[in-house]
Parts: sequence; structure tokens; C-alpha cells
Amino acid sequence: MMIFALILLLSLIFPGIIARTKSITSGRKGPSVWQPVYDLIKLFKKDAVYSKTTSWIFAWAPVFYFSAVIMAALMLPFGNHCAIISFKGDFIFFIYLLGLGKFFMIVAALDTGSAFEGMGASREALYSMLVEPAFFILLASLAMLSGTTSFETFFYSLTFNSSLAIFIGVLATYLIFHIALLENSRMPYDDPKTHLELTMIHEVMVLDYCGFDLALIQWAGHLKFIIYSLLVSNLFIASSFPEWLQWLIFVLTTLLFAIAVGFVESFRARHKLRSNNKAIVILIPISILIFFGSMLIMNKLF
Amino acid sequence: MEMLFILLFFVSLFYIAISGRLFTCLNLLILQGLLLFGVAIVELNEINMVNLLIVLLETLIFKAWFMPNYLKKVVNRNNIKRQVNPYISGFNSLLIVSLIIIGNLVFAYYIQNDFLKPAYIAAAFSGILTGLFLIISRKEILMHLVGYVVLENGIVLLSFSVGKEMPFAVNAGILLDILISVLVFGLFINKIGKMFEDMDITKLTSLSD
Repeated sequence: MMIFALILLLSLIFPGIIARTKSITSGRKGPSVWQPVYDLIKLFKKDAVYSKTTSWIFAWAPVFYFSAVIMAALMLPFGNHCAIISFKGDFIFFIYLLGLGKFFMIVAALDTGSAFEGMGASREALYSMLVEPAFFILLASLAMLSGTTSFETFFYSLTFNSSLAIFIGVLATYLIFHIALLENSRMPYDDPKTHLELTMIHEVMVLDYCGFDLALIQWAGHLKFIIYSLLVSNLFIASSFPEWLQWLIFVLTTLLFAIAVGFVESFRARHKLRSNNKAIVILIPISILIFFGSMLIMNKLF
Repeated sequence: MEMLFILLFFVSLFYIAISGRLFTCLNLLILQGLLLFGVAIVELNEINMVNLLIVLLETLIFKAWFMPNYLKKVVNRNNIKRQVNPYISGFNSLLIVSLIIIGNLVFAYYIQNDFLKPAYIAAAFSGILTGLFLIISRKEILMHLVGYVVLENGIVLLSFSVGKEMPFAVNAGILLDILISVLVFGLFINKIGKMFEDMDITKLTSLSD
């Protein structure tokens, strides 16, 4: 339960750290780390406005999205602590929970009847579809390494006792980092700061939301970042580590993750939309390398 | 440890397939030379000293230092265009190289026996096929040379896969092969560089006397 509270807390300051990193690298003073929290509080106090063309889907989608992400966060273990929800094959459920949330956002975007939102929805669906094989192959490799199909024991088996395991850890970190950037519509794939609807992906889908609903959507996005950084830190936490070290690794990984996102956003241009899908498919060979690496560790291949 | 080198060799093949810069490809050749050096150190510690020294000389001095730097020099001297200009786009090349690597891993899995090291077989054949693929899919003559060197790296790995029985002659032959090809291409490029501005082979079709 402690880990869940920490996830909620870190998710509040995560975007603040990204913004602060970006402002420092570009030589500005920048807003406080707590600014996104104030924004969220402001939005939560406001009422939502619904257009007459929308149906109940539009009003309910943010709630579905947020609860799907919260549920996904509940399914992740941390070090020795088992997850709150855990059963055989839960990693597939985890991926499709995130998928379900995204599905409702896409349906809600179509529900508004706006041409821009439909365009954004189709892009978001395409990119999620393209990145899914990479994420699945990664989790399947972890499943093969551990010999189980539950998150609970996934990360125990990846102990860094050989150079091959370190290599797999580095590749997996890189892969999860890019999946997180893509799923949260961050810089090389999508620009969260853009003001032109034609080039937006995620932002254009939520154009019609305001107030309470928008706050839910934004918070869910921040939570997704923490979910991915928890996945990364689980790769590096061994169950033999003392309790305080495990917490420290998680917090440090999350901070580093946020700073890395800030650096990527400061120094990289976004991909052209045309080359975006190619850049995403390139993640699949990386996951295949992880797969063969884990086969080599298991002596399954040769 | 050697498995890590093999995986990194696969990574270098992926990267060389998608890279759009000539110098990245040449730097990847340096990486491959270093990887071969690592494999040689791990694998061949049982053979005699002279043989070992020659293998190390070939991988470290020749493959990782002399050849890429010589090619860089040729590029600089002749003001050769530094983009790679493929017939098949980088993305499709990556897909094809992925298929090559997966196919070879499956192939190596089926032919494994006690005398061969299957991981090396997979890496070796992937190197050879990727080299051939680079030769047929790139327009610059320098990239043909890079493909040729990747192919040779694959052949060296193949000779490592039989371990101790590696005949000294095969290695010397490979070394001579590369030396001649690099020198011939170097001379060729130096000479032709005075006549033409870039090394695009599509222009060879319009040559006339």
C-alpha cells in the first residue's frame, strides 16, 4: 500500500521535474516543481462543460481512463512487496488495461464529431498498435526468464550476475523509456507543447475536455510515467536488497527518468509524422534482441 | 562474455542497416573489429602464441584501426558525399536484416552439433548475408566496400565457430583478401575521384569513351 501512495505522490511532481529540467537547460528560471499540482487542483475545482453532440461516452471516458491506469498501477509489484492485485497471466491483463483506457479515450474523441479529434484518435490508435509487439516481446522475455506468467516473480530472475544480463537490462531500460515517451505523447514522437492541431496526436484528442475531466486525463498521463519508471526500477532491484535501498532506487530511478525525459525534450526535435511509425517499428528489433538474449541466458537456444 | 559480443555484433548489423551516414558505418566497422578482438581473446586462448598474435593483429590493428581510418581518409581527401544513398530505404533494410538474423538463429538452432558453436554460426551467416545485402542495396561504391568488410567479419566469425581447429591459412587468406580489396578500391577511388565528384554507381551506366 505504501508503494501505491508513493506512486500517487511521485506522479504529482513528475511533470514538474520535466518542466524544471527543460527550463534549466534552456536558461530560464521556470515554474516551481509543484506547479502541475496547483494546475491539477485548479482543474479539479472546476466543472466540466459538455457539447450537445456528445453522448454519455464522452462524459464517462476520463473516468474509465483514470481508473484503468490506477488499476494497472495496483498490479505492479515492488521489490519484495507483492502487488495488490496479482494472478497468473496478469501481465497481459496489465497491458490490456492500459489499452482499455486508451480505447475509451479514442471512442470519446470520435464521439465529439470533430474532424481534428478523429484524426488524433486514429494516430493514437496506430501508434499504440505499432508499439504493442515490442512491449509484449519484452514482457514475454521476462516471463520466459522467470518461468512464470505473473508480475510477482517476473523481476526476481533478472539478477545482474552476467554481462549478458546487464546488456538485457540496459536494452530493456531503453525500450521502456521509449515506450513511456510514446504512450505519454512526449517529444520525439509527439510534442505536448504544439499549438497546431494538424500536428498533434494526444493533445488534439482531449481538446474538448475541461475542468474535472481534463484533470483526470492529465493525472492519468502522469501516473503512466510512474508506472513505467516502476517497471524500470524493478529491473534493477534485487529481492536481497535492504528495504531502504529498494525505496531509494525507486525514487532515484523516477527522478532520473523525469530528468532524462526533460533532456530528451530539450535537445531533440520531434519526428516528422511521416517517419514516426517507422521510428516506432524500430523498437521491435530491440525487443527481439532482448528475447534472444534471454534465450541465451536460459540456454534454450543453443 | 562472448555471447554479449555476439549480441553486440547483431546490434551493429541492425545499426549499419539503418544508418544514413557514411562515417557511422565506418565507426561501426571499428566496433565490429573490437568485437572480433574480444571474441578472439575469449575463444582462442588455447592455441599457440604466434597464431594468437596474428589473429589479434588482424582484428585489432587491421580491422579496428587501419582499415576504417584509411577509408575515412579516402572520403576526406576526395570530398565524397557523406550520406548513404540506398535503393532500399533504411527502414526496409532494417526489416530485411531482422529477417536475416532471425532466420539464421533458427538455422543455427537446427544444425547445432558438438563441433560447432551455433551462436557463432548464426552471427557469422548474418554478417555474411548482411554484407551481401548492403552491397546490392546501396549506391555508393564506398558502401559496397563496407558491405564487403562486414561479409569478411562474418567469415572470420565463422572460422571462430570451429574454435581451435581454425586453420591459420584461412585467416591469412582473409587478411590478404581485405588488404588487396582496400588498396585496390582506395587507388580506384583516388584515381576516379579526380574525374568524378561522387561515387554513385548509378552514374557508371552513363559512362562513355
